[in-house]
Amino acid sequence: MTLFIQQFFNGLSLGGVYCLAAIGLTLVFGVLRIPNLAHGALYMVGAYLTYFFLTSAGVPYILAIALAALVLAGIGIGMERVVFHPLRNAPHTHHMIAAAGAMFFLHSLVQAIWGADFRRMESPITGRVEILGTQVSWQRVTIVITAVVVLIALTWFIKKTVHGQSIEAVEQDRVGASLVGINPNRVSMLTFGLAAALVAVAAGLVAPINLIYPTMGDVIMVKVFAIIILGGLGSIPGAIVGGFTLGLAEAMATTYVSAVAGEVIAFVVLILVLAIRPTGLLTKAVQR
Amino acid sequence: MLEVRDLCAGYDTVDVLHNVNITAEAGRLTLVLGANGSGKSTLFRTISGLVRGRSGSITFEDKSISKLSSNRIVRAGIAHAPEGRHLFPQLSVEKNLTLGNYARRSSKSELKELLTRVFDLFPILQEKRSQAAGSLSGGQQQMVAIGRALMSDPKLLILDEPSMGLAPMVTEQVLQAVAEVNSEGTGVLLAEQNAQAALGFAHYGYVLAEGRVVLSGAASDLQNDPEVQKAYLGV
Repeated sequence: MTLFIQQFFNGLSLGGVYCLAAIGLTLVFGVLRIPNLAHGALYMVGAYLTYFFLTSAGVPYILAIALAALVLAGIGIGMERVVFHPLRNAPHTHHMIAAAGAMFFLHSLVQAIWGADFRRMESPITGRVEILGTQVSWQRVTIVITAVVVLIALTWFIKKTVHGQSIEAVEQDRVGASLVGINPNRVSMLTFGLAAALVAVAAGLVAPINLIYPTMGDVIMVKVFAIIILGGLGSIPGAIVGGFTLGLAEAMATTYVSAVAGEVIAFVVLILVLAIRPTGLLTKAVQR
Repeated sequence: MLEVRDLCAGYDTVDVLHNVNITAEAGRLTLVLGANGSGKSTLFRTISGLVRGRSGSITFEDKSISKLSSNRIVRAGIAHAPEGRHLFPQLSVEKNLTLGNYARRSSKSELKELLTRVFDLFPILQEKRSQAAGSLSGGQQQMVAIGRALMSDPKLLILDEPSMGLAPMVTEQVLQAVAEVNSEGTGVLLAEQNAQAALGFAHYGYVLAEGRVVLSGAASDLQNDPEVQKAYLGV
């Protein structure tokens, strides 16, 4: 039972990270109708930036994540302007090629600055806390709390603020949005900035648990794609449910079956969902 | 109020409008008749900035708007309820309506006033205010589309075939609301298949064919014009 509770919290923290990473991807898909293949690379840059602010600049951990998110939001907006905006009227394959190019660019850039070595970011949050008779590390508790806080803030932003509503409006009808005076360009930039900031928070949270290296984004990239397909492309609730489902499934499979099963589970679940409900669990924005 | 002069416009390599001249006077209801594909929608989309004109000019209250973005055009006072409605289907009726005020950013009390005006015009929308717009019937969706356009408190309301696909009774209801909006002083530029009903309350009308204005005149004159009768009134 103790093991189960421990793994439950591991799954929850992993799920929180997946959620934050997946929401950005699903938002970008919803607004621009493109799968941003460079999303994993943004995640990786987010981890390096947190590492830089924490170890080289010496700012406190949470502030380091916030700064990384801020810088990455800028990079995200830049990516929208430089990579995707010029292709807005081009066929979708062009977006994919451009995104792959952006991914390689970021890989190389990070490698040029920090090298190809694996790096370890020491967790600044140490110690454990007892929850339901089980020892859970403060780092994981921090991940879950931060993820939940960010998710609540994001939901509030999208549902209650004018700028958030403009994202939903563009997602649901681009022409209608233009006609009420929403500038789709600005919404694209906002969405990319938001997506990048969210993925930076995900990376900053998980960096102390995993190693940091230039291709670290590739693995999570594939899983995050599985999550948003699982949840329904473009759906934020779908990304949240999908993220936590996958996090828990992965933690449980790793513990009770094998480490390899943990890596495979995402795709087993994905295949099952696609077989039973091809539009995803919580399909919303893609029906048109 | 709105002056379209020698407007040419189209998509990619296709020219749709050829030297179109149209005037919509303040407070008047101007009707645009024309068969499918005659360029009515393209004309409206060009006025509201969704399509860029190739040549010619569009002025609104003596200011050129042909180079402005849709956002600026809405703020200048032109609201467009497009063909196909283009609502935000998963958002509630009320959110659809309040988004109609996006460009204007009215204060809370003004927003409430505008909302009340729309609900007075279409009481059914008040009842359905928290339902997803996409779940409404066609007629109710059309009311949301008109209401959303009215939420920007426009001086000119552009309506592109609001009765399309609606049952005759609903059509009558929608057109009546349009006439009511107009009678309260809002200028209306209307494209309508239901020429019989529309000519009844329009002031002036244009007939478009293949992207050209082929006929124009006071609504009462058009009603008696043998060509119009043959083509649109089924006489």
